[in-house]
Amino acid sequence: MAARLMRILSAWSRVRLGSVPGARFVSQALSPGAAGSTAVHSDDHGHVEVSLYEKNRDFHGFHKDPQVDVWNMKVAFFFGISVAIVIGGTFVHYLPDHGMRQWARREAERLIKEREAEGIAVLDGNYYDSSKIILPSAGDEE
Amino acid sequence: MLKILIPTLMLFPTTWLVTPKWLWTTTTAQALIIATTSLTLLNWNSETGWTSSNPYLGTDPLSTPLLVLTCWLLPLMILASQNHISSEPISRQRTYITLLTSLQLFLIMAFGATEIILFYIMFEATLIPTLIIITRWGNQTERLNAGTYFLFYTLAGSLPLLVALLILQKELGSLSMLIIQYMQPAPLCTWADKIWWAACLIAFLVKMPLYGAHLWLPKAHVEAPIAGSMVLAAVLLKLGGYGMMRMIIMLEPTSKDLAYPFIILALWGIIMTGSICLRQTDLKSLIAYSSVSHMGLVVAGILIQTPWGFTGAIILMIAHGLASSALFCLANTNYERLHSRTLLLARGMQAVLPLMATWWFIANLANLALPPLPNLMGELVIITSMFNWSSWTIILTGGGTLITASYSLYMYLMTQRGPVSTSIMAIEPSHTREHLLMALHLIPIILLMLKPELMWGWCF
Repeated sequence: MAARLMRILSAWSRVRLGSVPGARFVSQALSPGAAGSTAVHSDDHGHVEVSLYEKNRDFHGFHKDPQVDVWNMKVAFFFGISVAIVIGGTFVHYLPDHGMRQWARREAERLIKEREAEGIAVLDGNYYDSSKIILPSAGDEE
Repeated sequence: MLKILIPTLMLFPTTWLVTPKWLWTTTTAQALIIATTSLTLLNWNSETGWTSSNPYLGTDPLSTPLLVLTCWLLPLMILASQNHISSEPISRQRTYITLLTSLQLFLIMAFGATEIILFYIMFEATLIPTLIIITRWGNQTERLNAGTYFLFYTLAGSLPLLVALLILQKELGSLSMLIIQYMQPAPLCTWADKIWWAACLIAFLVKMPLYGAHLWLPKAHVEAPIAGSMVLAAVLLKLGGYGMMRMIIMLEPTSKDLAYPFIILALWGIIMTGSICLRQTDLKSLIAYSSVSHMGLVVAGILIQTPWGFTGAIILMIAHGLASSALFCLANTNYERLHSRTLLLARGMQAVLPLMATWWFIANLANLALPPLPNLMGELVIITSMFNWSSWTIILTGGGTLITASYSLYMYLMTQRGPVSTSIMAIEPSHTREHLLMALHLIPIILLMLKPELMWGWCF
């Protein structure tokens, strides 16, 4: 399917080349300075942009030398997917309890069970035991 | 920290000494190894915040996700730039990669800094490689104007910050974040105190950007080459958010009244910039304004200083960094084929490049905050926290969500659906490199759904 598409595309480009010498496969619809557009390309030699797929049917987008292209693709996929995402992802998945959140939940449940078994209040509004705080009497020292 | 910094530093000799044929392969590989190593920073199994082996560089649950994002982005930038730089002489290619690496270095040190002055110096230092990338490798003449706006907006905001930091150093005696977190914030009584408060935050508000000071962003994002747009959208905006979160801890409690105008500006900015997106004809400009819109929500979340606000801000920063960078990469695939950013020119691309249409679809779904992606989770947490702060904000945030969905859908429909543009004669098929680039952007977003606690910060 892809191969057929490539043949159709290259046939089209060849037809175009034949009819208008120096034709460019770049949109010429905009004038320079229009909002969001770029200046129209004008090549003095009338060269056409040749797709790198013409010389190398298995172009991966990395480099025009086919051997470097394939190796670059392999390296990028290996380090990007196999190492960084798969191995890195597994590492991150098996990291211990992040921020001790699961521990905090377990500890809270354990303390609640413990305090309910003893019959004391589960949670006290005061952080410190109020009976142990000794306050100076009012009006004593100024 | 050194296990990340030293390999990044060694990327400089790699770039300059490797043979030209294998330049991009080796730098991509090394950058990906650095990214994998940075994942070890995610280990946080104590209850204390900071993890540092020395007093100068450390990580805590706020800086760690941003550090990993920064390290992840360098290989993506290298992959994205490979095509458009390949026609340049080899020394310029090496210079380009050197600029990207130096930017990476400054960003790692900025996010890892425990001393606010080191953070400030790195914050300013990131401006230089970015300016060079925009003005030297941008494609249109407007790039000079864009560079000027970018540089001077940020500098004008950060000079008051320097003065404010020096005042703080004189008062407190130390600017180490490890110490400052335990100090009592001083009440702000005089007018000078209030100006000092504003000076602490304005640099970061300009960087985020806040709606009123956002004019540099569309220019810089549009004129920058793809790597510049990616790093701007994904990381440099988050520098502002990170700085704000660090500073605002020591600025409360009096910030409550002083923050009002900024919160309102941020919320209004969500609506306004979202509406501007619906009227854009330039694809990159649309994505740039959508960044302003999302960051407005982050700014609002940070300024209300609640735990959920902070958590939502961090989640949204990470998720937006990946999604926005993905959208810029997609826009670049169009640009490399058509040499134009106009939306109308690249219509009906689904019929021409169906696999790329899948990536367009997923990236736009991420941008419009589709559940269960973390983009939505961050937005929901911030919106809930803002509703708790004041019920009226739901009108603006709800409207903002609606407009975000509209312009994301608009972007997708305009580029992918509809009749194929008749001016397109021959479109080159999608490269494996482009598919890999998109996968490396979007797979982390999906994986983050499975372990979101990495992004929750220290407040949750």
